[in-house]
Amino acid sequence: MADESHVEVRGLRQVFSSGRQTLAALDRVDLSIDKGSFVSIVGPSGGGKTTLLRAIGGLLSPTAGSVLIDGRPPASAQRRKSIGFVFQGPALLPWRTVISNIQLPLQVNRGASDDRAEDPERLLDTVALERFRDYYPHQLSGGMRQRVALARALVLRPDLLLMDEPLGGLDEITRGAMRYELLRLWELSRPTVIFVTHSIGEAVMLSDRVVVLSSQPGRVLRHMKMDLPRPRTEEMEFSDDFLSLVRELRRTLEIDRSAAPSSQGPDIRP
Amino acid sequence: MRLVRRPTSFDTPGRGAYGRMSEALRNAVSLVGYLLPAAAALVVVAVGWEVWTRAADIRPYLVPRPSVVLDRLLGDVGFFASHGATTLLEATAGFALGTLVALAGATAMAHSRLMERALFPVAVLVKVTPLVAYAPLFVIWFGFGSMPKVLVAALITFFPVLVNAMIGFRSVNPETLDLLRSLRASNREIFLKLRVPSSLPYLFAAFRISIPLSVIGATVGEYFGGGDRGLGSVIVVAHYDLDMPTLFSAGLTLAMIGIGLTILTAYAERRVLFWHDSSIVT
Repeated sequence: MADESHVEVRGLRQVFSSGRQTLAALDRVDLSIDKGSFVSIVGPSGGGKTTLLRAIGGLLSPTAGSVLIDGRPPASAQRRKSIGFVFQGPALLPWRTVISNIQLPLQVNRGASDDRAEDPERLLDTVALERFRDYYPHQLSGGMRQRVALARALVLRPDLLLMDEPLGGLDEITRGAMRYELLRLWELSRPTVIFVTHSIGEAVMLSDRVVVLSSQPGRVLRHMKMDLPRPRTEEMEFSDDFLSLVRELRRTLEIDRSAAPSSQGPDIRP
Repeated sequence: MRLVRRPTSFDTPGRGAYGRMSEALRNAVSLVGYLLPAAAALVVVAVGWEVWTRAADIRPYLVPRPSVVLDRLLGDVGFFASHGATTLLEATAGFALGTLVALAGATAMAHSRLMERALFPVAVLVKVTPLVAYAPLFVIWFGFGSMPKVLVAALITFFPVLVNAMIGFRSVNPETLDLLRSLRASNREIFLKLRVPSSLPYLFAAFRISIPLSVIGATVGEYFGGGDRGLGSVIVVAHYDLDMPTLFSAGLTLAMIGIGLTILTAYAERRVLFWHDSSIVT
């Protein structure tokens, strides 16, 4: 894996104001994310994880500090359509079929060159939905919808995949299976992944590194390296290495919570 | 927007007689299903009314018997159908015009706050002015032809469509909006691919209100319009003559037009909004 830095966040501060109230969601956040790595962001709810992801994706302009993707502002990566987004909800267009939803990124901002684009039909096979090509989202299960959303994010072969609790809306059994599905897809092209999650186990199992965020304002409390061999398998969930990493991560989060008892604030999403 | 029939369990072969039914037949069956309850209610009301007018010996120039009304209506179907067609045409033209202007206005307002602040108060002004205030005005301006009737129908349909289109254009999934923005989709692309289809459920809700309103608008236009075409003018003449059977027949014809249009709207809604929660039956 190349060790060059892909995403640089420097002194990022993000303040929201409505009326006279202001709220600092992020303060002095510094991050450096290697190309091709899988990085999870964990932290209490209302801790600005989503805000950080949106700022990296160029959907928010920073109050202070900067976000750089390949040394340039996110707008440049947006223009090249090299950012993939997956959200907690599948956010599919309900009036489009599965295949047509996957094709959506190809159909907007046509000025950008799509020569790297994946064949949507092949991608359909990859996420094992070829039988459901012409179905509509309301005819699919939650896990299938999220696989469509994943395929849609992958259709442009993004260098950077931003995921905001993509498995958060799924039931526990589907969620467990989707984790390894996600890893398998990631291994195919190895984009840089920034993955926001509430689940400690998920963060440990999926990531090369985990960034622990504090709450209100969100600051980076700790970087942790997840030294588990790849490919990761379901059996590892019972290994001592895995469990000790989970324990350590949980302790870090609990220390933050006892230091700031009011950390269970509302989710910040302007 | 593509209209693709959604696969249903009926598409699986070997599901008994119902599974082998042609689509046309299935649609006819569902149409009858729509009509039947309404028709049954109508019959119940008519029978009750007939019994009441006979038993209480109500004078026919006050409340005519349904049998007499029906006799008048069926005795001169051509008369009511031709005036009804005029009213229906005016209503349809008015609805089309009002909807077009409303959609153009909502599109302008969706793209610019300034436009919204400039145009919306004008729209409210139109809305709060009673129909009977501007109907005579249009007659003075545009004469006794169809034009003033179409305009009244257009004005009355305009506001519900405008408001719902505005809400509809804004009611988009924020995550889908984020996705399109992260791909640098243009405002035009976001409007056409996300905002317009998202607004369809709201537009159909508006149509349910404004399509029957357009018939009312056209009728009121005729009532004040001084012309001799359309059910509104038939009502005026019958009113002066105390010709109750004709008055009631005209009303009945208007009601049937309203019912027909409502069924048509519901049918179109089911076809277009097959993907929406409101039409997904589980």
